[in-house]
Amino acid sequence: MLELDHNIKKKLIIGNHAVVQGLLQAKVGVTSAYPGTPSTEIQTELYKLSKKGKLYFEFSVNEKVAFEIAAASAMSGVRSAVIMKHVGLNVASDAMMAMAYFGVLGGMLLVVVDDPGCLSSQNEQDSRFWGRFAHLPVFEPSTNQEIIDMIQVAFELSEKYNQICILRLTNFTALNTSEVEYVPIEENLPHNGEFIRDINYQIPARYILHKNAHNKLLQFIDDERFTSLNPLIASNGKPQSSEKLIITHGAIYPVVAYLNDYYELNLPILKISAIHPLNEDLIQEMIKPFKYLYFIEELEPYLEREFLAIIGKNHLEQKVFGKKELEVPQENRIVAEALAIPFEHIKGDPTNSETFIPKIKPSLPFAPILTQKELVIPRTLPRLCDGCPHRGAFYVIKKATNYDDIIPSDIGCYALGQVPPVQVGDFWLCMGGGIGTALGFSITNDKPVIAVIGDGTFFHAGIPPLLDAVMHNRKITVAILDNYLTSMTGGQPTAGSPERIAPEQTQIDIEKLVKGCGVQWVKRVPVENIKENIKIFKEALAFDGPSVVIFTGICVIDLFRSQKIFEQGNKKVYIDQDKCTKCGTCLYDFSCPSILKYDGNFVINQNSCIACDLCINVCPVNAILIKGEK
Amino acid sequence: MKNRINIAIVGLGGQGVITLANLIAATYHSLEKQVCFNEIHGLSQRGGSVQSLLAVNDNDCPVFALEDTDYLIGMEKLETLRYLYTSKSHPIVIMGNRYEIRNTVYFDLEHFPEEKDIDAEIRKLVKKLYLFNSVDYEKKISFRIKPTNIAIFGALSEFTELGLDPKIAKKNVRKHFAKNPIAQSFNLTAFKEGKSWLKEMNL
Ligand code: SF4
Ligand code: SF4
Repeated sequence: MLELDHNIKKKLIIGNHAVVQGLLQAKVGVTSAYPGTPSTEIQTELYKLSKKGKLYFEFSVNEKVAFEIAAASAMSGVRSAVIMKHVGLNVASDAMMAMAYFGVLGGMLLVVVDDPGCLSSQNEQDSRFWGRFAHLPVFEPSTNQEIIDMIQVAFELSEKYNQICILRLTNFTALNTSEVEYVPIEENLPHNGEFIRDINYQIPARYILHKNAHNKLLQFIDDERFTSLNPLIASNGKPQSSEKLIITHGAIYPVVAYLNDYYELNLPILKISAIHPLNEDLIQEMIKPFKYLYFIEELEPYLEREFLAIIGKNHLEQKVFGKKELEVPQENRIVAEALAIPFEHIKGDPTNSETFIPKIKPSLPFAPILTQKELVIPRTLPRLCDGCPHRGAFYVIKKATNYDDIIPSDIGCYALGQVPPVQVGDFWLCMGGGIGTALGFSITNDKPVIAVIGDGTFFHAGIPPLLDAVMHNRKITVAILDNYLTSMTGGQPTAGSPERIAPEQTQIDIEKLVKGCGVQWVKRVPVENIKENIKIFKEALAFDGPSVVIFTGICVIDLFRSQKIFEQGNKKVYIDQDKCTKCGTCLYDFSCPSILKYDGNFVINQNSCIACDLCINVCPVNAILIKGEK
Repeated sequence: MKNRINIAIVGLGGQGVITLANLIAATYHSLEKQVCFNEIHGLSQRGGSVQSLLAVNDNDCPVFALEDTDYLIGMEKLETLRYLYTSKSHPIVIMGNRYEIRNTVYFDLEHFPEEKDIDAEIRKLVKKLYLFNSVDYEKKISFRIKPTNIAIFGALSEFTELGLDPKIAKKNVRKHFAKNPIAQSFNLTAFKEGKSWLKEMNL
């Protein structure tokens, strides 16, 4: 960290931490979130700060609740922020759509981080659309400094016009580490406010408030603080005599600017960071000097459509080259390679239609992902950790069910159970979707249906479909894999985390909760009792009605974090080659990545094995043994 | 733009790719040079591929045209070759010699590339190869702490073209592991080891 003067410092930080810095500088008192990559580092950092008393933060049970907490705080005059990943906003949107009608008193910021490329998500929806849909202003910064600065503007305007603002990041901006200048905040940020009753919050004729939301947006359109976030940037500061203009949006501007240099095009770029609402007059002014507009956007052609409307309505003559003409992919994250062909098109002669003859041949779905030269390089698939307790549950499910049984899974580490070699899970939709779809499958199929869901996801969205199962006496079996953490995102607490993990929370007992939902057949089992658990799971499957088996085990993240792993000493788990019959059960059915087939023998990779002992229980001839003392 | 140095770091989840990127960036930052890097992980913390692109003399755009890679740092052979293939680049490569067989392979493919074939391919594609014997080194240390990334960092600190300062680099290692004295001492030793390895190579 370098000192500039006594109150501005320079620091190298990741985009997600720039969000936290921005929130601190804006003196935000209340923050809430549900864990979701790629927004996790914002949340874990806020969690840490809240433990030190800096501000209020909580991991809420889901994004909708998190949103409601932030909204009510802002209604009480306290600045608040809610943080989630893109799909979380689907869950929170019910509250957001109506909240936009009221607006807020204290400033409120919704931070949403998109995941183009689905690096850790079930889809890659483009959150820019929410602004238009919910009548909310959307900010989209390009750099870490802009993240901090735009958060300040967003809160000022949020308070000035009493409306929630959306800050949209992507896995590019959120996970980029670079230098920022910032003001350290020493004091703790209070969260006491006052709710003042207002008849407007209660009236049933909500359409009147709908108009309010519109009017507020009009104020953003005319605010210079907002519209100045869409600058026309000359390349290398050169005066522009170009007829061509590139138009892009905040999140990918740095890549577009870099390639503009790299390919030596040196075209002016219109960078749109104030995504919604756009000021039509200003846009017209800015595009007027240019004849050809080239749109480069990640995911959907959002700006392209918005600009086309402006151009059409005002009878402008600009020629537009968008997704289709430039062959900018509409899926996946934008990396430099993805823009090589679009930049070739841009370089070409805009009056010659040959320039835009497609260069990309349509590819088959699921075509091999890697280039093949002399060697075929296998994909490195993500997988459950070495020593993951879920593997014990999957092994039991595999052994207790038939190949044809239908097994919808859910969102979390255990979704990786679908990946070979484990291969438990036939369907994967959204948070809680495993149980929900299990209901539908059980209505339409005469086969056993087993839903797999983790503890965090069960609390988040699994309870309503379970109630539905009880209500309609559906014969489904639910396997809840309980490891006391939200693991996929790096180990945040769930509502079921014990005091050891989340001392500030009250632990909720899943078994009691499930019983409270009215499920008649419930059993909680430790994951390591594999043989016993197969029997129990078969009983659950035989029950005529909804049944629930809760598998408990400790997540490997937890083992490392709590240092329990070091208690293992020099203990080693190995396969006795004299006893091993080479049946392959441990590798093909159980599939811990530490178990390898090497020179025809099954062996344990001592480099990665964490000596969790789980595999010992699956070997039919007890050839997996423990060496060394604890 | 002209004096931009493009560095790619690749490996598997858990091999310390992001830690290495952090340390390199922190060192440039201490030297008051502009630097930025990104990270591509998502599910990779569960053993998938991890990649970080790092740019020196740029504060905004860590991403670059991969064919323009100046340095490639590989924590594992297969991931290194994957990068060389997909990027179509011919960089200077600093690589650990770990070769990790993934058990999913038995279900994916008939033929898993053999180590000697991977080696031959890598040699064909690099401008220059610095191969660190990370397997032997990690064996020598302990099986639960794998400081190859830090050893490579030590080596990098001695590359004059990169303009990192070994003293400041070391200070950053110390700072990075300050909370865990055991890990700190392991990693400082690794740093030293990597530094002297590179000095030997350069002789
Ligand atoms: S003991 Fe068995 S299951 Fe556990 S990590 Fe080692 S090989 Fe995997
Ligand atoms: S993080 Fe935990 S739950 Fe996820 S794969 Fe690893 S051990 Fe399993």
